[in-house]
Amino acid sequence: MTYFTKTYDEAFINENSVRTNYKKFISWYKNQDNDELTKINSDAMKFFENTGVSFKVYSSDKKENLIPFDIIPRIINSKEWDKLVRGITQRVLAINFFLTDIYGQQEIIKHGVIPVDLIQNNTAFLKQIIGFTPPNKTYNHISGIDLIKTNSDNFYVLEDNVRVPSGASYMIENRDTMIKLFPELISRYKVSENRNYAKYLSEILKKSSPKKSKINPNIVLLTPGIYNSAFFEHAFLADKLGVELVEGKDLRVINKYLNMKTINGWKRVDVIYRRIDDIFLDPLTFKEDSFLGVPGLMEVYRNKNVTIANAPGTGISDDKSIYSYIPDIIKFYLGQKPILKNVKTFKCRIKDELKYVLDNLNKLVVKEVHGSGGYGMLVGPLASKTEISKFKNKIKKNPYSYIAQPTLSLSTCPIYTKKGLTPRHVDLRCFALLAQEKVTVISGGLTRVALKKGSLVVNSSQGGGTKDTWILSS
Amino acid sequence: MLGSTADSLFWMFRYIERVENTLCMIESGFQLYLLSSSNLNNEWDAILRTNSIRHHFLKKNNSLDSLNIINFMLKDPKNFNNILILFDKARENARRSRVSITSEVWEAINTCWLYLNEELNKKINESKIQTIIKNTREKIALIFGFLERSMLKNEILNFCYLGTFIERFDNTVRILNTRYYLLLDEKKIRFEGYDNFQLEMILRSISSYRSFMWKNQNEIKANKVSYFLISDKDMPKSLMFCVNETIKNLRSIHKKNFPKNKSYQNALSIQKKIKQKSRNFNNHSFLDSLFKLNMTLAANIEEEFNFQ
Repeated sequence: MTYFTKTYDEAFINENSVRTNYKKFISWYKNQDNDELTKINSDAMKFFENTGVSFKVYSSDKKENLIPFDIIPRIINSKEWDKLVRGITQRVLAINFFLTDIYGQQEIIKHGVIPVDLIQNNTAFLKQIIGFTPPNKTYNHISGIDLIKTNSDNFYVLEDNVRVPSGASYMIENRDTMIKLFPELISRYKVSENRNYAKYLSEILKKSSPKKSKINPNIVLLTPGIYNSAFFEHAFLADKLGVELVEGKDLRVINKYLNMKTINGWKRVDVIYRRIDDIFLDPLTFKEDSFLGVPGLMEVYRNKNVTIANAPGTGISDDKSIYSYIPDIIKFYLGQKPILKNVKTFKCRIKDELKYVLDNLNKLVVKEVHGSGGYGMLVGPLASKTEISKFKNKIKKNPYSYIAQPTLSLSTCPIYTKKGLTPRHVDLRCFALLAQEKVTVISGGLTRVALKKGSLVVNSSQGGGTKDTWILSS
Repeated sequence: MLGSTADSLFWMFRYIERVENTLCMIESGFQLYLLSSSNLNNEWDAILRTNSIRHHFLKKNNSLDSLNIINFMLKDPKNFNNILILFDKARENARRSRVSITSEVWEAINTCWLYLNEELNKKINESKIQTIIKNTREKIALIFGFLERSMLKNEILNFCYLGTFIERFDNTVRILNTRYYLLLDEKKIRFEGYDNFQLEMILRSISSYRSFMWKNQNEIKANKVSYFLISDKDMPKSLMFCVNETIKNLRSIHKKNFPKNKSYQNALSIQKKIKQKSRNFNNHSFLDSLFKLNMTLAANIEEEFNFQ
């Protein structure tokens, strides 16, 4: 076997030596018939195709794409995982305190921890909800925290996704698929369960209801519709939650309450798990020409007659310029040292840092502060001179919109190919659920893998794939 | 249940039923083609008229060439009712109502869609036509099988069946309407062999030739064919059977309120009309009025259950 990687590999120390987490797995793997594995690998894709697990890339045609699935699991031990859980819990709580404060007293600004212009000039900061506390004081009910590993000790947080984080359905489908393909392996390994995600999600949504009696609130999942890239996930989760999957046109505000149109007439809605961005929620408050939302919804929300999860305005905290302040935010609200580290971030809004960024573009990854999905970014070491100079002008024109990070040597994990195992770069999205100041981190998460050799871009919209993530029970 | 979900379920099954019906017609035409029948052109003409696509087809084609017609009905983008487009719409509605249907039903629909896309996007040669039709019909049967076996017996299922039977009624009445002259009083028109052949083709176009012959001791007569297609309550494609099923499903959705509802009342009036006319159905205006009543019934359902 030739297995060669320049960066930290999670499975192999070198070709002949396997790390502890993977020892049992690799010895199992070596006993497998390669032709059989090749067949199983293609069966896996067939399985995804037949069940309709798909992801759509924004493009003019209506084509649905499958996210490639790799059959080699990513394995994390319980000690590493415990640290991640503590770190994620800390971040999720701090972000909720930050949001409550920033739309309330703004103590963090008064104390000079965060510059005022970072908030005031930020389009993700919703002036419309200043002074309003959401039902149950919860903003980020659902968070997707992106992590990367660079060596044996540390996971770094790359992004805190709290607008409308997606991917949980793939996490569950990946596990289902692995159990179908390798039933004996999972039980032998004592992998902890992640398919309870929907159960926990259902619990936190019920708890978030503005109704005094929270026994049977009417919860709906609001989707932009079947042409949205994540529609599969919307339908998948609505199904698992046992709630109606609605579009804006199914909803209407009647007598200060939100209602959905059923075959027997209007029925009151208590909680919206929304999968559309803030600006589309209510054309009377935000984007006037939005057809995805509900006219008057924000008024119902302000009267605390409906819960919106995540709460409108949450987006400010996953803004990439706020990201660099998260360690300070943790210290300010929790009085604790951050358990998980941030990736070093240069803020182009600061003169000295901007100069450094412009001088070192070929070494850095530059991101738009409001960008997502791997779009609008420059990967310096892989970019051509023309691309770099074009991007330089973009940054100079609008330095407030950009941050830069050093190119990280993302860890690699083995993926399966016909010729055997080969290393590819990975990241990890963990899902955390928050209700009544209690955080539940779902075991494992979604490992995304850059399938092209040497590539660092793991986004499914740009050719990334996924793996099942195993947390070994202690 | 959301009104929009009921809408998707209803239309999902209208489209699936339409695909099935269209395939049966293609199959009956193709059989004649294989036999080099001298009646081939008449048949294709009737089939194209039944589907309201004759005009569109003849815009592009000068003659009723069998393979061109089959291609047109299966996949030509100029035909907005081609099998690919119809099934695409069925699947789109299935995705919209994905939460309401079981994964068995969804996978059966999705697998059929994948199959059609793979097969119909290739060049279709003569030798494959029968295989494609047979396989697709089997896959559709699987959808109905899972619908029956895996779904709860509740209003979700009722809307699936309402779509199915409204569409099936529409298909049968269209077939009858296109060829009503064959069913006219036998004393007036007598082209014995020719007539019998065309009557047989009516039955074949809804895949019911064998069951008719079995029920009628191998004797084919216009009045019997009419009765079979219009009034026979045991025959799953007859108008009477379809309207009875529609009534049953409407009752089940409305629970105790059904007598008040317009859709229910209209379905009853269709049933009554068929019963009253059972001995004297042989005219165009009767069939035409049934066709229109069925359209009104569909509109009633859409309105009453808050479809969008």
